Amino acid sequence: MSTIAETSPRGQARRRIRFDGWRWGGRIFLVFMLLYTALPMVWMLLTSIKSGFAAMQFPPQWWPDQPTLASYQKLLDPQNSVGQDFLRFFWNSLFVSTATTILSVIVAVPAAYAFSRFTFPGRNFLFFTVLLRNMFPAVIFLVPLFILMRAIGLVNTHGSLVLTYLTFGLPLAIWLLKGFYDNIPVQLEQAARIDGATRFQAFILIVMPLSTPGIIATAIYSFIGAWNEYIYAYTFLSKNEQLTLPVGIQRFFSENTTDFPGLMAASFIMSVPVVVLFLVLQRYFVRALTEGAVKH
Amino acid sequence: MAHVVLKDLVKTYGSFKAVNEVSLTVNDGEFVALVGPSGCGKTTTLNLIAVLIPITSGDIVIGDQVVNDLDPKDRDIAMVFQNYALYPQKSVYMNLAFPLQMRKLPRAEIDKKVREAARVLDMTQLLERKPRELSGGQQQRVALGRALVRDPAVFLMDEPLSNLDAKLRVQMRSEIKRFHQDLKATIIYVTHDQLEAVTMADRMAVMNGGYLQQYDSPAQVFAHPANMFVASFVGSPAMSLIPLEASTANGDTVLKSAEGWSLGLSQPNARKAQGATSRKVVLGARHSTIKLHKSAVPGAIPAKAYTVEPTGDVTFVQALLSGAIVNISVAPSIAVKPDEQIWLEFDQERMHLFDGETEMALEAA
Repeated sequence: MSTIAETSPRGQARRRIRFDGWRWGGRIFLVFMLLYTALPMVWMLLTSIKSGFAAMQFPPQWWPDQPTLASYQKLLDPQNSVGQDFLRFFWNSLFVSTATTILSVIVAVPAAYAFSRFTFPGRNFLFFTVLLRNMFPAVIFLVPLFILMRAIGLVNTHGSLVLTYLTFGLPLAIWLLKGFYDNIPVQLEQAARIDGATRFQAFILIVMPLSTPGIIATAIYSFIGAWNEYIYAYTFLSKNEQLTLPVGIQRFFSENTTDFPGLMAASFIMSVPVVVLFLVLQRYFVRALTEGAVKH
Repeated sequence: MAHVVLKDLVKTYGSFKAVNEVSLTVNDGEFVALVGPSGCGKTTTLNLIAVLIPITSGDIVIGDQVVNDLDPKDRDIAMVFQNYALYPQKSVYMNLAFPLQMRKLPRAEIDKKVREAARVLDMTQLLERKPRELSGGQQQRVALGRALVRDPAVFLMDEPLSNLDAKLRVQMRSEIKRFHQDLKATIIYVTHDQLEAVTMADRMAVMNGGYLQQYDSPAQVFAHPANMFVASFVGSPAMSLIPLEASTANGDTVLKSAEGWSLGLSQPNARKAQGATSRKVVLGARHSTIKLHKSAVPGAIPAKAYTVEPTGDVTFVQALLSGAIVNISVAPSIAVKPDEQIWLEFDQERMHLFDGETEMALEAA
């Protein structure tokens, strides 16, 4: 009796210590990952509020002596040429990304619903050909798509980019949303139709609200993909006034001196929409990714 | 309310026949249970009535209208689903209001009807909750409320109790039965649980393999099963079925076992056995109609006890007889041990005889 009383608390204590060891290992790993991802962002932010001279100093100024918002003022001022260019690039990016997002949701929602709910000849074949495009690196399609765009007269238009980004974003959007619709019990629609709704009303009134998290996640994916894309924008557009942000920012590199604070300020402003989107919609996003995976 | 007629209803998936020429009539205000093991076509039949899936051939009549080509919304039916299918994003109030909104009723009337349904089902205090904040029994009641709020011609219920725990199931069973009595509603109720069908329904339609096996009142189905499937499906524990061979000598008909014993038949039973297509006859007997003796009695069959299951009220003894398991219920005061030698006496009045080839019940010619 006494031996049991002695050993069992110690056994518990030992187990607790070992468990804590794992937990601390995990914490340290996460802190390391956080530093790894966050430090470049911090450095970007710090550099963007330095003067051009301070940014080039060695050893570096860890904390700017004379923080200045001059770079931001320059970029956001529609009076000077840098500001005009930057704002136009920003607007171009916003236009291309938003158009891509809206179109991909409009196409992906009914497509995913059809793949999930209807049986039609060639359904499985079609569903996998949707993925075909994603099996190859994007660059492979650069030249063929360029020739195609030239043939239909879309080179040097934002339409060429929207079309191209749709071919990247749609397959993923359709797959993600199909998983979502698969998890919405078909009985809900049946109940709605028996309750007096048409098939379309059942979709709009019952299924659509339930798939909002999935639609939001899909929209974020499409938006970020289009917002960050560089190589197609660089290839398809040559006119200055059409460039998107990733290509436009490149102009801050010049042959003699690179305006690092300006470049960093531009990068920071570019990352703002994505970060804001994530912060506002993250709870839908996480729900979408986990709900698609788990059967209830 | 209205009556429902199914005429030669067929549903095929490729070469698989899920529902096979099912014909039955549900009278106005009648509670009919479609019952059978999983995959027997009962839910498919219900979905055909609700037109959730297209009919291959046959007719469905609700009221006096053939509804084959009508959309579900135009059929004036309400359905309670196995998983309730409550709209998760809507409150209980909005769930109940939805069928009325779809029919474009004025707001004041919707409010009146929803509150009336909530009062009847005793859930007025739950109206603002979301379905996920309700217990299983409450969700079940909301599903019932959504069906009754519209006052439809026919209620369809697809295993509405199978997701509830045992205690709640018994409680909801009597609530649904009461609901039927109060509303005089026409109800078609699908279940795999023969006990639900027997206890609740006016008539039960036993299905197997897509075919309608028997359609009659629970008492009739219990007392006169049409074939071996119905006999073994309805009743708990199941009716024991013992495959034997009939032979007639000196004017007496006996059922002979390969084990060597034989059972003499009464005159009516002998006539039944002689009507079989071959000599193969299956003896069917419910647990309560078999008498267990601990010593040899004239006319009793020797057997060995296999398992003994005391349940408190009654003890179930299982014995092996001619390759079949035979259930016998005895008073708990009678102690039987496994492997003990026992003698079984069959009640000639209440035994069933089935044709060994066609599996159909043998009737006196």
